[in-house]
Amino acid sequence: MRSDFFASSKGSAQKIFDPRTKLLMVVTISTVVMADSGGGWMSVLCWILTFVPLALFLIERKWKAALIYFCVYWGATLMQLYLLPLTTGVVNFLLVAMSFFSVRFMPGIAMASYLVNTTTVSEFMGAMERMRVPQSLSIPLSVVFRFFPTVSEEYTAIGDAMRMRGIRFGGRKPAKMIEYRLVPLLVSCVKIGDELSAAALTRGLGAPIRRTNVCEIGIKPQDVFTMAVCAAMILLFIFEKI
Amino acid sequence: MKKSALSAKDLMTVGLFTAIIFVISMAASMLGFIPVLMPFLTVIVPLLTGIPFMLFLTKTKKFGMITLMGTLCGFILGLMGMGVYWVTATGFIAGLCADLISRSGNYASAKKGVLSHAVFCQWAFGSVIPIYFARDAYFAKLINGGYGEEYAAALMRYLPEWSLIPSVILGFAAGIAGALIGKAILKKHFIRAGIA
Repeated sequence: MRSDFFASSKGSAQKIFDPRTKLLMVVTISTVVMADSGGGWMSVLCWILTFVPLALFLIERKWKAALIYFCVYWGATLMQLYLLPLTTGVVNFLLVAMSFFSVRFMPGIAMASYLVNTTTVSEFMGAMERMRVPQSLSIPLSVVFRFFPTVSEEYTAIGDAMRMRGIRFGGRKPAKMIEYRLVPLLVSCVKIGDELSAAALTRGLGAPIRRTNVCEIGIKPQDVFTMAVCAAMILLFIFEKI
Repeated sequence: MKKSALSAKDLMTVGLFTAIIFVISMAASMLGFIPVLMPFLTVIVPLLTGIPFMLFLTKTKKFGMITLMGTLCGFILGLMGMGVYWVTATGFIAGLCADLISRSGNYASAKKGVLSHAVFCQWAFGSVIPIYFARDAYFAKLINGGYGEEYAAALMRYLPEWSLIPSVILGFAAGIAGALIGKAILKKHFIRAGIA
């Protein structure tokens, strides 16, 4: 899946939500769904929440992401229900780990990937600025989110290159393996990072003035509604904890 | 702008290395799904992060960068569901301590750099706090959450209460070893390639 995070064009993707709303949604889902301790009406609520990323992917016409999310989440849920009671020992551990990782973390990860894939860096920075987040936090954060897809992309590319040369995991020298993977990864990431900061400096990042932003961000009725729902979820969650 | 303040370029360097260190740590932590390997995570992860960290140190000349990196690592791990407060707090503390150590060596001392990495490696400590300090609650949560009695019991068996201090010490030692590996790799590759 190509990342649109750094795309500067407004393109075909309509902006439904403000970046601030998306951020709040990520926080809500990752706290409420992941902390779900099972049982009670809170679980039902969590279960409903897991459909939110799916709905958003469909609205944004990210068919592939929606399909992956749907299959992984429901596959893991079904596995948990029907396959786990049948296994014991090491197999059980592996299946438990895999399925629970998927069920617990997938909604949050899907939500975060929705945020990253539908928000440009400029919009993100604009939203951060409106929230009065200091630049010392907003710049590294946006770089981190920009770099997650890049690191994994570079890692796959390096893996391909190494396989072509017959260097693969499970070989005789694990220490060498790590060197052959990590060093190229670091070199290419640092190079990309240098280019990125050169580009950002050209756009006036770090200049001692307030930057203007061409992105159209703003709180719309749907944002107010979603934020209210998120706030209610978090309040309910805290309430139930106490 | 004051000279001591972090420039935009410094902040982007922080972001870049946070992403790299975080991704590497996460990839290695996947091993933790096998309960037997869980206690060894504190050893495996520092061995790997030593390389990027030492490279990061060569680009760090101002106070605050390592602190920021620790805090961000903790915050993002927290967002991924490890309890935001604990991990962010330990990330901040570990980052700050590592930063102070590096600063005492003027960000140039190799020995202080190695020590700094060993301290920095404790940033993820917050994620195991519930295992040690709220043991019963954590156990109940695993079972209620559906991990199953067997898995939860195994995890508890491999992470007994007394293992807290050895795991911190081992993590520290692995941090030093990782940093030494990192320094060797730095000399072998990055300085030659001109990016350190």
